Amino acid sequence: MSVFLPLIFLLTAASGTAVVLVRDPNRQIFAICANGLVLTILFTALQAPDVALSELAVGAAAVPLLFLVALMAVRAGKVERENGKGGDS
Amino acid sequence: MSPRLRLALLGAALAGLLPGAVAVIRRLPEFGATIAAYGERINAIVPAERHVANMVSAINFDLRGLDTLGEEFMLLAAITGTVVLLRGRRGENTTDRAMRLPGRAILPRSEAVVLACRLAGPLLMMFGLYVVLHATVTPGGGFQGGVILASGTLLAYVGEGYAGWRDVIRSHWLDAMEGGGALLFALCGLAPMLTGAAFMQNVLPFGTFRDLFSGGLMLIENAGVALAVCGGFTQLFLEFLEETREAAGPEEPGEESA
Repeated sequence: MSVFLPLIFLLTAASGTAVVLVRDPNRQIFAICANGLVLTILFTALQAPDVALSELAVGAAAVPLLFLVALMAVRAGKVERENGKGGDS
Repeated sequence: MSPRLRLALLGAALAGLLPGAVAVIRRLPEFGATIAAYGERINAIVPAERHVANMVSAINFDLRGLDTLGEEFMLLAAITGTVVLLRGRRGENTTDRAMRLPGRAILPRSEAVVLACRLAGPLLMMFGLYVVLHATVTPGGGFQGGVILASGTLLAYVGEGYAGWRDVIRSHWLDAMEGGGALLFALCGLAPMLTGAAFMQNVLPFGTFRDLFSGGLMLIENAGVALAVCGGFTQLFLEFLEETREAAGPEEPGEESA
């Protein structure tokens, strides 16, 4: 445990920094997902299974999915606008 | 505001707040040290008085039930606000079938994704139900279980496509789940008052310790939270998806896959 906890803290810091540093929104969502998973492991290691379950359900599944759907919405809007100019991305 | 002024402001704020913060941090218990007083009191009271093994649920639904009622309505307000915001362009009308945004590409799904979702979806729903039902026995509860159930419905979306998903999901049912869950929780607070007890007093039989049916009124409140959270989150997904799918233009028939 003495090695495990600092390792998880480092991972938390690293994955949190990754969320900020990754600039592509698509990848950022998966970085958030990874951060949620690391936090879940951290909470489990600190013996807070209830919080870990919440974090897993909300931070690693629900919120990234919502962001994915929101990204889809943004992109669909872009298609609508670019169709007038003949673009297709 | 010039950068220099900002830095000066930051410095002033740090100079003002840092000594206090340092003093508080130095007085904090060491990392990993047990903060005994409240936790031990809870551990002593709850199994004896409420026959509940999961202390967190006991705090959420019984000892500090009023706070959870407030959170319940915060969730309701947040989801209502999001839905109102997202429905902005298309008003209150809802459709029963999947709509399609003209000019939007339909991406085919791989068979592996369909298979994985069909296998994992029912299992996930079952696990969600388990987490909801065992709120007073094992870690978890209405909120966690509700979110897992909502994720299960989303697996149906990933696996079966948008049209298949919309065949199952009805917006009005979600409204009823969301509002009905919050109502159920509020009624759990009010109903004991009819018998002359206090607001949200646990008047039902407590059941046996470590049994599925333990905790009395907590189980009903928990079911209310699960209903509200599951309905609310699914409603959120539905509204986000509807926003991307439904165009202001004329309606097009549903798509085959998404």
